[in-house]
Amino acid sequence: MSTIAKIPVALLLLVGAALAQGSPGTRAPSVSLAPPPKITITRGKNGTVPLQLRVATGYHINSNTPKSEFLIPTTLKLDALTDFMAKVEYPAGQDMSFAFAPQEKLNVYSGDFNLDVSVRPLRTVQAGNYAFHGKLRYQACDNAACYPPKELPVNFEVKVIKGPPASSRGNPKQSPHIHK
Amino acid sequence: MQRNPLVIVVIAVLVAGMLFFGLHMARTAKGPAPPDIKGRPAPEFSLAALDGKTIQLADFKGKAVLLNFWATYCQPCKIEMPWFVDLQNKYGPEGLQILGIAMDDASEADIAKFAKDLGVNYPILLGKEGTGEAYGGIPFLPTTFYIGRDGKVVDKVYGLKGKAEIEASIKKALNEGSAVQARK
Repeated sequence: MSTIAKIPVALLLLVGAALAQGSPGTRAPSVSLAPPPKITITRGKNGTVPLQLRVATGYHINSNTPKSEFLIPTTLKLDALTDFMAKVEYPAGQDMSFAFAPQEKLNVYSGDFNLDVSVRPLRTVQAGNYAFHGKLRYQACDNAACYPPKELPVNFEVKVIKGPPASSRGNPKQSPHIHK
Repeated sequence: MQRNPLVIVVIAVLVAGMLFFGLHMARTAKGPAPPDIKGRPAPEFSLAALDGKTIQLADFKGKAVLLNFWATYCQPCKIEMPWFVDLQNKYGPEGLQILGIAMDDASEADIAKFAKDLGVNYPILLGKEGTGEAYGGIPFLPTTFYIGRDGKVVDKVYGLKGKAEIEASIKKALNEGSAVQARK
């Protein structure tokens, strides 16, 4: 590659490098949610909706069970849906220490982590599609600063089915020979 | 067809410039960059302190003020607060006043407990959004402003810094405006 031909390449690399350097205040920490799969659940039974979350590189958020009473735990609050039981199962956080306090371990989520929502439609629920709405509340920090708590909207759908026809256990086989 | 290398370079410069400008605008569109208040008079405020008193910046006229925005959920803030205790002891007699402004939703009792656990020896004020906005916005914590004796903002520091760096900024604030004070 000639020297002149290298100039455009070098310029584009320089621009890329300049933009990659986020200065304090211009970058915002974020937690993102991958589109949740639509789970089919038989009414009266449990189903699990896996939520895949990602904390932006360079940040961490507190786990659901941080080690200090003053730290804000990550929580998912779902709007109640009639005739559904829903329970959020939080993963264990990682014990990590950071540059600002090398001796202290914090229990955090960073990078990719999963939350499972256990959903149980009661037997009274009509078969069909149901939308769940909620908010993930989290508070992010990096190696030198912390950001105000934020909320991420969490929405997913489940499909409720009636389930297989009633088993034959309840209706004992009748032999045509019984009724004589 | 022969391509003129100069034309390629010019086009590359234009493309790079457009890329930089476009992406820079897209990034800053998320929120305006805080105005730089360095060198300008520190915005006045009047806030309730944990002891029930109302404290104004004007109460500390002629002193150097270290204004530290913090929150109970902020671990880096927790690291520097014991340093502030030491520095208040060391430079208080020279005219330094440290003020902590709590910027979280925790209860007053929790804020008081947090400060007591760390042995805080300077006033803790209960912050309001408007106070932060007056100082150009507090996008994250800790954020610290150093105000000279003349009431002008000498320095603003985002995030946790080392104790030596904090001490250097305190010295700068103590010296700033001291000539003005001496003349008065």
